[in-house]
Amino acid sequence: MNADVRRRPPARPVTVACALYLLVLVVTAVAAPVLAPYPPDRVDLSVRLTGPSAAHWLGADELGRDQLSRMMFGARVALAASFEAVALGLAAGVPLGLLVGYLGGWWDRVAMRLADVAGSIPTLLFAFAIIAALGRGLTNAMLAISIVFALNLLRVTRGAVLVERERAYVDAARVLGLGRFRTMVGEILPNVAGPLVVQASIFLGVAQLFEAMLSFLGLGVGTGTASWGQMLDRSRTYAAEQPWLPVFPGLAVTCTVLAFNLLGDGLRDALGRAGDTGLPWGRSRRRPVIHATGGAVSRMALLTVRGLDVRFPSEDGPVAVVDGVSFDVAEGEVFGLVGESGSGKTMTALAVAGLVPAPGTIGARAVRLDGRELTGRSDAELARVRGPGIAMVFQDPWDALSPVHPVGRQIAEPLRTHAGLSRRAARERAAELLAQVGVPDARRRLDDYPFQFSGGMAQRVMIAQALACDPRLLVADEPTAALDVTVQRQVLDLLLDLRERFRTSILLISHDLGVVAEVCDRVAVMYAGQIVETAPASRLFAAPRHPYTAALLAATPRATEQVAGALRTLPGTVPEPGARPAGCRFRPRCAFAVGACAAGPVPFADGARCLRRDELVLGRE
Amino acid sequence: MGRLLLGRALALVPMLLMVSAFVFLLVRATDTDPVRQVLGDGASDAQRAELRHALGYDRPLAVQFWTWLGAAVRGDLGRSLFTDRAVLASFGERLPATLGLVAGGLLVAVAAGLPAGILAALRAGSAVDRAVTGLASLALATPGFWLALLLVLAFGVRLRWFPVVGYTPFSDDPAAWARGLVLPGVALGAPSAAVIARQARGALAETLRATYVRALRATGTSRRRIVTGYALRNAMPPVLTVIGWELSTLIAVSFVIERVFGVPGIGTLLLDGVVRNDIPVVQGGVVLVACVVVLVNLAVDVGYGLLDPKVRPR
Repeated sequence: MNADVRRRPPARPVTVACALYLLVLVVTAVAAPVLAPYPPDRVDLSVRLTGPSAAHWLGADELGRDQLSRMMFGARVALAASFEAVALGLAAGVPLGLLVGYLGGWWDRVAMRLADVAGSIPTLLFAFAIIAALGRGLTNAMLAISIVFALNLLRVTRGAVLVERERAYVDAARVLGLGRFRTMVGEILPNVAGPLVVQASIFLGVAQLFEAMLSFLGLGVGTGTASWGQMLDRSRTYAAEQPWLPVFPGLAVTCTVLAFNLLGDGLRDALGRAGDTGLPWGRSRRRPVIHATGGAVSRMALLTVRGLDVRFPSEDGPVAVVDGVSFDVAEGEVFGLVGESGSGKTMTALAVAGLVPAPGTIGARAVRLDGRELTGRSDAELARVRGPGIAMVFQDPWDALSPVHPVGRQIAEPLRTHAGLSRRAARERAAELLAQVGVPDARRRLDDYPFQFSGGMAQRVMIAQALACDPRLLVADEPTAALDVTVQRQVLDLLLDLRERFRTSILLISHDLGVVAEVCDRVAVMYAGQIVETAPASRLFAAPRHPYTAALLAATPRATEQVAGALRTLPGTVPEPGARPAGCRFRPRCAFAVGACAAGPVPFADGARCLRRDELVLGRE
Repeated sequence: MGRLLLGRALALVPMLLMVSAFVFLLVRATDTDPVRQVLGDGASDAQRAELRHALGYDRPLAVQFWTWLGAAVRGDLGRSLFTDRAVLASFGERLPATLGLVAGGLLVAVAAGLPAGILAALRAGSAVDRAVTGLASLALATPGFWLALLLVLAFGVRLRWFPVVGYTPFSDDPAAWARGLVLPGVALGAPSAAVIARQARGALAETLRATYVRALRATGTSRRRIVTGYALRNAMPPVLTVIGWELSTLIAVSFVIERVFGVPGIGTLLLDGVVRNDIPVVQGGVVLVACVVVLVNLAVDVGYGLLDPKVRPR
């Protein structure tokens, strides 16, 4: 996705705060005998069940014992139990997971079956059974948690090993003659370490919750030792007399668990989990979707686009994924938009319909469809244009249809929205449309689901949905790229046929110059967010005026051509929106670049964005 | 549909068998002597041996398991070593209270979690989203029994809106029964609501990024219609799975919550068994609950199948 220009976030303040809290907690626990204002068991009936005071900051319990001191000692139990449980789980689960994943076969099957069985017993019950067998006590109680952790970590490790095993470098290590064991530990472990650290942090929180729960049930530490869960258990009896009693130990548990969880979340984000991209629509319904950027527009076609920008926020300010794109599509014309992936052609098409996902923003001097200005309109207003005005066909038809709804309903949806047809009438029309796009036995297939269609047939369903409201402009984004070669031809023919029948204009987006050459009347070539050349298709292919166009053509095989030797390729890739070179954006990859090309932005003039457009003679050799 | 159900049900048999064997071994693989607990320290060795023989604890483990299993499939889980009551019957009479508690928790979890998650997904990145996500993190970290204590203090002791402790059976007074379940339901359901909200938010946000949502947008279909007619339905399966998992968690955690509210559920019975090392009670109880969990998972599996047109028979 071109929009994916965000980078890994820096360590968030929340994560840092959690780490600090846990550090303070560890120090408190270790230094409890020094820090605690009172011995945890000192009974002083004179302050029995008093609330927070200067002498006892958090109050005193039913025997007059200092709550703060008891909680400081409780932190020792809490942390020791959590770390023990997780350490034991790691020590057992990770090696077993490595082993099972690496050995595979029967080892794997038996281990996973056992894990399933143990996993079907809720952890608390598991703890009950172990305590019944081994007797009460914190170690026994936490043993159950360790086993459950070990099983989870076994799964995680095994899964990671199975993935890593297939990677080439493990084979490479094997070739180098490393022993099996060293292969596993040396090559695989560093790669699974990240997810394991995240998992361990979250388990520490879970362990803390369980420790508190088991102590609360009287199955954890003995009555002699202070633990937060046990303090909460005692507070049950006296809370009506002294409501502060349960507050602080519970707060301690909650904060500690929260810190472990948030630390885990923070670590996961830091390890590079892709951030959420936003909603498919902006947050406000009333604000304009395509912002008008001002300026006069003279000529009028069916679609007129002037100065179209699509910007996405990034750490270094907004970057323009589409940068000042202008073009026209005449009535009944097939207009091609070509370029490598990352050139901004899909974003351009989405922007015309106001469909750039948040947080992207669209701006344009003008986007006019059939005389209607689309800039400055809200999403709800644009929704009335989508369907009857602009319709779209996407690359992968299975992705573009809801997998759990019958296709008939999906084709009928725009008919119900725009034409206000009844359910029955819309269904009737959907059957006609499906027949028109060449799906055999159309009426019967209305109740089928997308997965029951072949690729070519699913694309026809998609096209039927797009055509439902007789659109003036059909935007087809790589409509054949996901299909078999034999089916590609049929779908292209269908599109051309529909153009003839309905006078629909088509904006065809493709990286396939062969397809473009065959179908398009006019073509625009995009590079790094800009249009670099526009020309009638025949002229463009015969005499390209921009070196990029020429390079693309040279890299395209032609059936009529005797391919002798290696196919020419275009070295390098399209620069990321944030990393475009100054001056001509194609300059680093251009064979004809001169000093002037780096001087400043190259204007689009006379059909091409190249300083040397008039001196170069380019062609397909 | 029938085949799907039959297949899954048949796969349950070895699963339940293994779970039973696992629990049996777990509880019996111990050097603590159940007979010592019953007779006390004063009993002679001969007395102990006699009781051990009478209870069958002197036979090989495999034989014991076979005998236990044979009785179990006929509905006989043995008798408590201490009260001599039939295990199945004592669990049976406490089941309604636990079921009520779990139902209350589930209701709170789904009724709060699902709308919150959906709202957060629809307002992704907004203050509402941050509030839901933050509250969910907090609820996940809060021990349910502590929340229960605080709720009792606030709404029972101070405000007197709800009973502090005690349980009214449904048959005695349905209104009082429902009132008594409000606080336990909230305390039990809050963490599960957080899990469900997170999952619902994630699943719906993911669905809204799908290409077919963009395709529907491109046909001019309204946001409301896309969400209610298409996205929610597509986002449901993972949420349903999580609700199934949470049901198992609710059952287990209800054993802790019932301690705060004095609800006579199966948790108290089980806990007494654990503390007294009452082997038939612990064994029967754990196997029973494990069976319920396995059955819940089966129901989720089948529900999942019903939602997926690829699995659903036509």
